[in-house]
Amino acid sequence: MVSELNKGIRSKVLNLLTSNQPWLTLLGRLILGGVLLTAGALKVGKPQLSAMSVRAYEILPTDIANFFGYVLPWFEVALGLLLIVGAAVKVCAILGGATMLIFIMGISQAWARGLSIDCGCFSAGGVVDPGETNYLSSIIRNIGLTFIAIYLYRFPKGRFGLDK
Amino acid sequence: MAASNSSSDKGTRNLVIGMVVFVVLIGVIFSFISNRSSTTAMVPASVSADDGYGIVINPTATPTVDIYLDYQCVVCKNFEIINGGYINEIAAQNKAKVVFHTMSFLGAESVIAANAAACAADEGKFLEMNLALFQNQPTSHDSGMWAGDFMKRLGNSIGLNSATFEKCVAEGDYIDWTRNVAQASASADVNSTPTVKINGKEIDRNSEYMDPVKFRAALAAGGVK
Repeated sequence: MVSELNKGIRSKVLNLLTSNQPWLTLLGRLILGGVLLTAGALKVGKPQLSAMSVRAYEILPTDIANFFGYVLPWFEVALGLLLIVGAAVKVCAILGGATMLIFIMGISQAWARGLSIDCGCFSAGGVVDPGETNYLSSIIRNIGLTFIAIYLYRFPKGRFGLDK
Repeated sequence: MAASNSSSDKGTRNLVIGMVVFVVLIGVIFSFISNRSSTTAMVPASVSADDGYGIVINPTATPTVDIYLDYQCVVCKNFEIINGGYINEIAAQNKAKVVFHTMSFLGAESVIAANAAACAADEGKFLEMNLALFQNQPTSHDSGMWAGDFMKRLGNSIGLNSATFEKCVAEGDYIDWTRNVAQASASADVNSTPTVKINGKEIDRNSEYMDPVKFRAALAAGGVK
């Protein structure tokens, strides 16, 4: 009985995800691309702050963290722009999804180790007061974005995209 | 007809991809070049490369107190309000070597402020300028308030009237040096401002920064008498 109901719901959801697929792909591109472009654009002008954010995770050696801190904002801008115009969507979905997974792991380990850092997702970053961390909401947001990336990988062709 | 349409679509797509990748690569290169430290930068007289290009007060005293700050950082301003008087006392009474690392990760006006602080250091008025900058901190980053001749007027207000000082702030003599400070602080793995270290060891961020009694105790424990 329950499994019948589950099946019904599942087929409805699948139906919804596939019947409007070109529009959903467009929506997914705009959400994932928009978040990446915003996050990157807020950071490109402040590479030192971005480098500080990466260092504060205390995963990478200082020099390598600084390198990624400089590159990451531009990388996000590139992925964001390409997703919004719909060019190389499949590749961008893989890269965007992988980036989100790395962010989720980074934030989780910081949380688990008891570090007090701003995730540095948008313009702020670095060590903050313990009361100012927002690990859970960042992780939830990135999980949502990862699912969008998976959808875009599965259905890369949508409305108003340059990929034909 | 359909075939030529689709090949021109493909051309547009590849052109767009190429342009985005190109612009972003230029951006990455620009970020690296515009932030790398400079071996030819003019440095203030009280600065030592061995101390992370920080402004050094009482170079021969012990212990060493390193203070990392950004003049646009609000917590740094609060820290100055709480502990600035005591730090100035330590500096004035030669109780420690105090090194100020004027970082500038919060934006262009942090660079302007750090340059002005360095100009003041050359005139022997770093601590006065340090306080004046925090007292006149704008409420938002890069608000425009610190641009133009603001630093000249701020210097004048604390008695910095020399032609050397006015030229130094007007021409930004130490702008390149601020990048050296930034790079040295990054290499020292400073991930927040303010950061205070005694003999290279950071004091406790959870309790010792914003409580004047605990701050004094932390410095005393580090050997400040």
